Amino acid sequence: MQEVNGRFEDNKLLINLSGRIDSNNSHQAEDAIRQLIQEKTAVPIVIDAENLEYISSAGLRILLHLKKTNPDLMIINVKTDVYDILEMTGFTEMMTVEKAYRVISVEGCEEIGRGANGTIYRIDDDNIVKTFHDANALEEIRHEREVARTALVLGVPTAISYDVVRVGDSYGSVFELLNARSFSKILSDEPDKLDWCVHEYVELLKKIHGIVVPEGQFPDQRETAVKWAQFMQDYLPEETGKKLLKLVEDVPQDNHMIHGDYHTKNLQLQGDEVLLIDMDTLAVGHPIFELGSMFNAFVGFSELDHSVVKEFQGFDYETSTKFWHKVLAAYLGTKNEDRIREVEDKARIIGYTRLIRRSIRRNGLNDPERKKEIDHWTEELIDLVGKTDTLLFAGNELEIDAKSENLPKVISFIEERMDEAGFSPKAITVVTLAAEEIFVNIASYAYEKGNGKAKIRVEMEGDPVTAVITFIDQGIPFDPMAKEDPDVSLPAEERTVGGLGIFMTKKLVDDMSYEYKDGENILKLVKKLS
Amino acid sequence: MLNINKSTDGSKLTVALEGRLDTNTSPDLEASLQESLDGVTELVLDLEKLDYISSAGLRVLLAAHKMMSKQGSMKVVHVNTTVMEIFEITGFLDILTVE
Repeated sequence: MQEVNGRFEDNKLLINLSGRIDSNNSHQAEDAIRQLIQEKTAVPIVIDAENLEYISSAGLRILLHLKKTNPDLMIINVKTDVYDILEMTGFTEMMTVEKAYRVISVEGCEEIGRGANGTIYRIDDDNIVKTFHDANALEEIRHEREVARTALVLGVPTAISYDVVRVGDSYGSVFELLNARSFSKILSDEPDKLDWCVHEYVELLKKIHGIVVPEGQFPDQRETAVKWAQFMQDYLPEETGKKLLKLVEDVPQDNHMIHGDYHTKNLQLQGDEVLLIDMDTLAVGHPIFELGSMFNAFVGFSELDHSVVKEFQGFDYETSTKFWHKVLAAYLGTKNEDRIREVEDKARIIGYTRLIRRSIRRNGLNDPERKKEIDHWTEELIDLVGKTDTLLFAGNELEIDAKSENLPKVISFIEERMDEAGFSPKAITVVTLAAEEIFVNIASYAYEKGNGKAKIRVEMEGDPVTAVITFIDQGIPFDPMAKEDPDVSLPAEERTVGGLGIFMTKKLVDDMSYEYKDGENILKLVKKLS
Repeated sequence: MLNINKSTDGSKLTVALEGRLDTNTSPDLEASLQESLDGVTELVLDLEKLDYISSAGLRVLLAAHKMMSKQGSMKVVHVNTTVMEIFEITGFLDILTVE
């Protein structure tokens, strides 16, 4: 049995379908629908499938016919069985199909996070729900689920939502998160864990920034930042505005992942695993854009009113600025205050630009309290833009054409990082000597066509510091360690000229290792400080 | 950067090196030696101001050593500790005459 009822609501024609639609009754059903439509011409049609039990291919054809005359056709409240049919036949991609959602309430639930687009609540020991402020949240939920899935596949530890629910007038996505605690909570409850938090937080951040995202999967943060800078043109002195736009436009495109809202509430410790949540802001771009939003989270938002961070994160402003500073130092792998400040200033340019635009768009310029903030940020921004010539900074990674002409750049990059970390000139010379052998090897042999990239990463680990220098190329697999050591006891006349470099390299450093992984040659040199 | 200063005293050639002897600069030294070694019986390499030597640089020293052992002698003087360490590791200390 099957019935068709129609009602007119909010300028839409709602058609209820119930029971089964198959070849026995599809003609009657289509006639009944046609009749309803004739009565209410030219309005969007929404099919409410709450009571629909089954639909056969004859029934699906009705939907196709309707879709032809009404391109905006929507089907809502679809039961799982019917949804499966629509999904299998590809209908979910042809038209908007909404599942029937479980309804939950978040009243009295602990709020564990609040982002730009939604609020996260813990609904029980094992589950959290992210509710969206926007009533049309389904598109955002779909987007977040998609990017989170991509990120997970690329190696980011994250929770993937397994269900979508109705929460009040909007929707939420549900995640499993077993007894997890956010880093904000850990920092608030156990201040002595600050250094541990910094370490874990930076490790994950570096991991994210090291991941290359296949083209077109994530939005480009540079484009977004260019829009911010364009918006600012009306609110800054002409010269500052132009320079700001140029600074942002000059940041090269970058296909590495950034999180976009990387603060301590979005890191959750589950057991001994650190999970990243709130993935809807995932993008690709230069790390300066990430650092800009991190500056805002820990400093920018609460620079004038220190209670803001306390209310949002649970820890005080002093802890927050200390954490930010330590994070930046660890991220850059340096203890050099000048360098930390230099990068912080670049991050502040992005941060203030975003804060000013946000505040103007939300509150305009008429609220005196807000105006005071905007004036402060603007003043800082004018000063910073005036003294800055590039938003780029030397991270702990250098990506460069694998050509021996680039050797001096590689050497000075390594020298600077090691000098900052306190290595002696002698130790630095010894390491650069080893680095030269490796880099020249890559430049000479890795790429058959002679053009390719090499990545050089300098990481400082542990205390006392150990420098780990990693060389990565995507050339032909080659294990330099597999070569036999040359016989150095031979008299000069009998000694061959090649093969000496790698042998020497091994002797110069404390450890050397090679692996071939995911199409990359990865060679590591380790040098201890002492 | 590498500065090469040559001075001749009869059949004795002294070459003072200053800077870095690496992949990019060692071809310069190689060319410079090739054009000056004719008739030289005593080659002195003064490394006092050499900050750095890579295996490419060592190769040039080895080639010069081979050539000089046919027509005379070669010695290396004023070696600083960094370069000395590299000579040690590579066994060059046993090959070259180092003062």
